[in-house]
Amino acid sequence: MATLDLLSISKSFGAAKVLHDISLAIEDREFVVFVGPSGCGKSTLLRIIAGLEEATSGQIMIGGEDVSAAPPVERGISMVFQSYALYPHLSVYENIAFPLRVQKLPQVEMDERVQRAAGILQLTDKLDLKPGQLSGGQRQRVAIGRSIVRNPKVFLFDEPLSNLDAALRGDMRVELSQLHRQLDATMVYVTHDQVEAMTMADRIVVLNGGRVEQFGTPMELYHHPRTKFVASFIGQPNMNLVPATVVAADASGAKVALEGGHEMVLPVAAGTLSSGDKVEVGIRPEHVEQDRPGLDVAVNVLERLGGTSIVYGSLQDGARFCASLPGDAVIAEGGSVHLGVAPEACHLFDASGDVLRRTSAPEIQ
Amino acid sequence: MTETVGNALVQERRAKGSAIPESLFGWLLIAPAMLFIMVIVAWPLAETIRLSFMEAGLGGEEYVGLENYQDLASSRRFHQTVVRTFYWMFLSVGLKLVLGLIGATLLNAAVPGRSLFRVLVMPPWVIPMAIGCIGWLWLYNGYFGVLSGTMQWIGLTDGPFEFLAHKRSAFYSAVVTDVWVGTPMVTLFFLAAMQGVPKDLYEAAYVDGAGRWYRFRRITIPQIMPVIVSMALLSAIFTFNSFEIIWILTEGGPRGATTTLIIDTYKKAISNYKFGEGAARAVIIVVLLGVFSLIYLFFLNKVNRHYGSGKK
Repeated sequence: MATLDLLSISKSFGAAKVLHDISLAIEDREFVVFVGPSGCGKSTLLRIIAGLEEATSGQIMIGGEDVSAAPPVERGISMVFQSYALYPHLSVYENIAFPLRVQKLPQVEMDERVQRAAGILQLTDKLDLKPGQLSGGQRQRVAIGRSIVRNPKVFLFDEPLSNLDAALRGDMRVELSQLHRQLDATMVYVTHDQVEAMTMADRIVVLNGGRVEQFGTPMELYHHPRTKFVASFIGQPNMNLVPATVVAADASGAKVALEGGHEMVLPVAAGTLSSGDKVEVGIRPEHVEQDRPGLDVAVNVLERLGGTSIVYGSLQDGARFCASLPGDAVIAEGGSVHLGVAPEACHLFDASGDVLRRTSAPEIQ
Repeated sequence: MTETVGNALVQERRAKGSAIPESLFGWLLIAPAMLFIMVIVAWPLAETIRLSFMEAGLGGEEYVGLENYQDLASSRRFHQTVVRTFYWMFLSVGLKLVLGLIGATLLNAAVPGRSLFRVLVMPPWVIPMAIGCIGWLWLYNGYFGVLSGTMQWIGLTDGPFEFLAHKRSAFYSAVVTDVWVGTPMVTLFFLAAMQGVPKDLYEAAYVDGAGRWYRFRRITIPQIMPVIVSMALLSAIFTFNSFEIIWILTEGGPRGATTTLIIDTYKKAISNYKFGEGAARAVIIVVLLGVFSLIYLFFLNKVNRHYGSGKK
C-alpha cells in the first residue's frame, strides 16, 4: 500500500478549466472520499489519478514515485467504475481473473488469487454465473473482486453505489468500510452523496467548481466548515443560512441581529467584523429547539419520521427554514412555530462566505 | 390472492369491452398480414413447387414427376454451378465481413474527420446498383478502363487486359464488385454494434493493462458477435441470390464462369422458356437457403448463449 500525493493538478478541456491547482496529500491506508455536486470535477480528478485522463499540469505521486506520465497499469492502481464495467460475456470467474489473464499469470496463481477475492467478497458459489444472472450488489462485488486480485497500491472507486437502491446502498456502505479494514488499503472514493462521504471516509475532500473547498475529517467538516459551501453541503438536512446584521463585534464574539429583530451573541473569532456588516448565521436543523426565543417560522410541510419531525417552513421574508425536532413535537402544517438555537451551536459567515471560527465548538482530533 | 382478484377484474373488463371472442379478434388483427403473405409469398412458392414437377414452356404444361430433379441430379454442369455458387458466396461474404470489421474499427476510432469518412462509406450502398455496376464495367474494360491502363503503365501486362473476358478474372472481378456493393452495409451494422459497446469496458480493460489488440479480441469481438453472425447470414442470403451484379457485368459468362444458381435459374426459366426446369432449380435454392438458415439459427443460439450476459 502507499501514499498518494497530488501536486498542483489542473485540468482544462479546451477553454474550460475544470480543475484548479489541486494539491492533496493522502496518507497510506487512508480512506479518502471526494465529494461535491455534479460537475465539480471529482470524477475527472479520479480519472486523472487512474491515468484515464491527462492532467494539463501538475504531478501525481504514488508511494513517493512520480507516475504522472505512466499508463494506468504501471501506476499500481485499480478502479471500480460506476457502471461496474463487467464483461457481460464472461463468467464471474473470468471477470475477476481478467487483469491476471492480461498479465499472463500462471493458472495456479490465478486460481488462488480469484478464489481468495471471491472468498472475501462471498462470491465463491457465483463464480460460474454471468453478470446478467447477479443482483446489483453482487455485480458490485465482482467489480471490487477484479480490483482486489491485482493487489494494487491504491483502490479508486467512481461512485460505485449510485446504481443501487437505497437499502442495498446502505448495506454496501458497511461492506466497503469492512473491506477497507480487511484489506488495510489506501482507497479514494468519489461520490456526490454526503452521507456516503460522512459514514465511510477517514477524510473528506469537498470539491466545488474544480477547487478544493476543504479537506478534513468528517466531524471537522461538520463542526468547523471553512466555507458556507461546505457548511451547507455537509449535514442532512442542509444547514439554514439566515441573513443577519452585526451589531457589535470583538475577538471573543459577535452580536448579531437576525431577521425579525432577534439578537444573539455568537462565540466566534469576530475580530475582522465591524458593526453594520452583513453576515449569515448558519443554523443546523438538528440544533434548532422549539419555543426558544429566536425566529417565527411558518410551517409549510411537516414530515413525521417517527423519532424526528422535519419542519420545512419559511421566515417572515419568505426565506426557507428547516428544523429537525423531536418526533412528538406539537406542530401543525399551516401554523407557525417559535424556533431558536443555542448561540454556541451557530456558525457565522462573512459577506465573502468564509466562516468565522467558532470558539466554543467541540475540538476535533 | 390479489393477483387472482386482479385477473378476474381483467377478464371481466375484457368481457364487457368486446362482443367478439378474443381468439377471433386476434385472427382478425393478423388477417391483412396473412393475406399479404399468402398472395406474395405462399402462392408463388406453391406455384413454383407445382411447376417443378411439370415440363412447362410457352406451349403448355405436362406432368413429368421428378424428371426435372433427376436431370439436375445427374447434370455435371449443375453440380459445378452449385459448387461455384457456394464458392462465390463464401468468398464474397468472407471478404465483406473482414473488410466490414476493419472499416468499422477504423470508423469507430477517435480520428479527426471520422464523420466525413462515415458518409464517404455510404455511396456503394446508396447509389443504384445498376449505375455502380456500369461504373465497374468501365473500370474492367481493357481499352478504356483505368485498371487495365494502370497495369500496362506499371508493366504488369503488355497490352489491354479484358477483366471480364477471361473465366478466372471475370469471376473474381464479379466478386470484387459484389464486395464493393455489400461492404458498406456490413460496415455500418458493425459500426453501430461497436458504438453500443460501453466505453467503461474498454477503460476498465485499459486500467488492467490490456492493449488495443487484446481489447479488440476480448471485448469488441465478443460484444458484437451476435451482429457478426446475423450479418453473416443476411449477407450470405443476399450474395447467394445476387443477380444484378453478375447479370450486368457478365450475364453469367464467359462460358458459364460466373453462372451462379440464381443466374442459371433465370437463364433456364426466362431466357430458354423452360419454366419447369427453372422452377426445379428455384426449389433447390429455397431448400439450400432453408438448410443454411437452420444452421445459422443453431449457431446464433450458441453464440448468444456463449457471449450473452446470462440474462433470462
